[in-house]
Amino acid sequence: MTNHDLNDGSAVKHRHRHEGPQKHVIAFIFSIILTLIAFATVAAGGVNTAFTVLLLLVMAVLQVLVQLGYWMHLKDKGHMMPIVFMAGGFFVAGLAIIAALYWMWW
Amino acid sequence: MTTPHAQQASGALPHEPEKATLEGRNKVLGFWLFLGGEAVLFGTLFATFLTLRNQVADGPSASELFSLPITAAATFILLISSLTSVFAIQAMHRGNRTSLARWLGITVVLGLAFLVLEIYEFTEYIVHDDYGMTTSAFSSAFYTLVGFHGAHVLFGILWISILIGQLFKKGLTVVTAPKVYVSAMYWHFIDVVWVFIFTVVYLLGKVVG
Repeated sequence: MTNHDLNDGSAVKHRHRHEGPQKHVIAFIFSIILTLIAFATVAAGGVNTAFTVLLLLVMAVLQVLVQLGYWMHLKDKGHMMPIVFMAGGFFVAGLAIIAALYWMWW
Repeated sequence: MTTPHAQQASGALPHEPEKATLEGRNKVLGFWLFLGGEAVLFGTLFATFLTLRNQVADGPSASELFSLPITAAATFILLISSLTSVFAIQAMHRGNRTSLARWLGITVVLGLAFLVLEIYEFTEYIVHDDYGMTTSAFSSAFYTLVGFHGAHVLFGILWISILIGQLFKKGLTVVTAPKVYVSAMYWHFIDVVWVFIFTVVYLLGKVVG
């Protein structure tokens, strides 16, 4: 921790403009819409089962991408390692699910 | 080491105080690694649930058991709490400790509301439907997966509550800021897991239960 670090920090402070809530409110409304589509489709019923399953999974993945990308800032620069960690985690998780299903049912 | 901290605490807080020190940056990076591990943990619980979801023995199936309104309410509560924790971090970036503590407080209250709903739901199943942990392989997998998520919510509530106390005691500094930032990441991750739970467990349970 040197003076150099401190000077960097305060320089950033003067240059930076604080981001407003608009972007996050839009992400929030988008998530609400995705959730409503998912629940409404199931509540209404009568839709083709295979199509419903696919729709639900797409809605879930989109909402997770909003959370991770916007609210947890994974889409911002300097997040290469966090993306590697999370992608690795999701890869192993997906592998566990596929392996367990395969082992059990085929 | 103490000089920069003292200086920051006296009001010269950098724009992103959670990333102002190497320690803070490492804390955030390390927490991402932890979340990757958490993804694997929940992945294995989802794998167990998916393989056992039709093994209902004499108990009711998923589509007979679940009630969509409760799940929808819980979903919206958790989604709103994710937004309030974003607002908390924005307040922190403006250096506004009071606003930060207020948004964290709202997040905690919403987390409690979610937990109350979940406890109500489980109580209904256990008392009303006589549907417990040992009823079937499906029920064991269900309670383990959803209950584990609920335990994460409880831990988050306790963690963030303690951080609010620390904010008042020690102030918003480059030492406390990374802790708040990391707890907000944890809270978002809880919502990420819940998105998969309400989709895979509840909605798919209704559709292909």
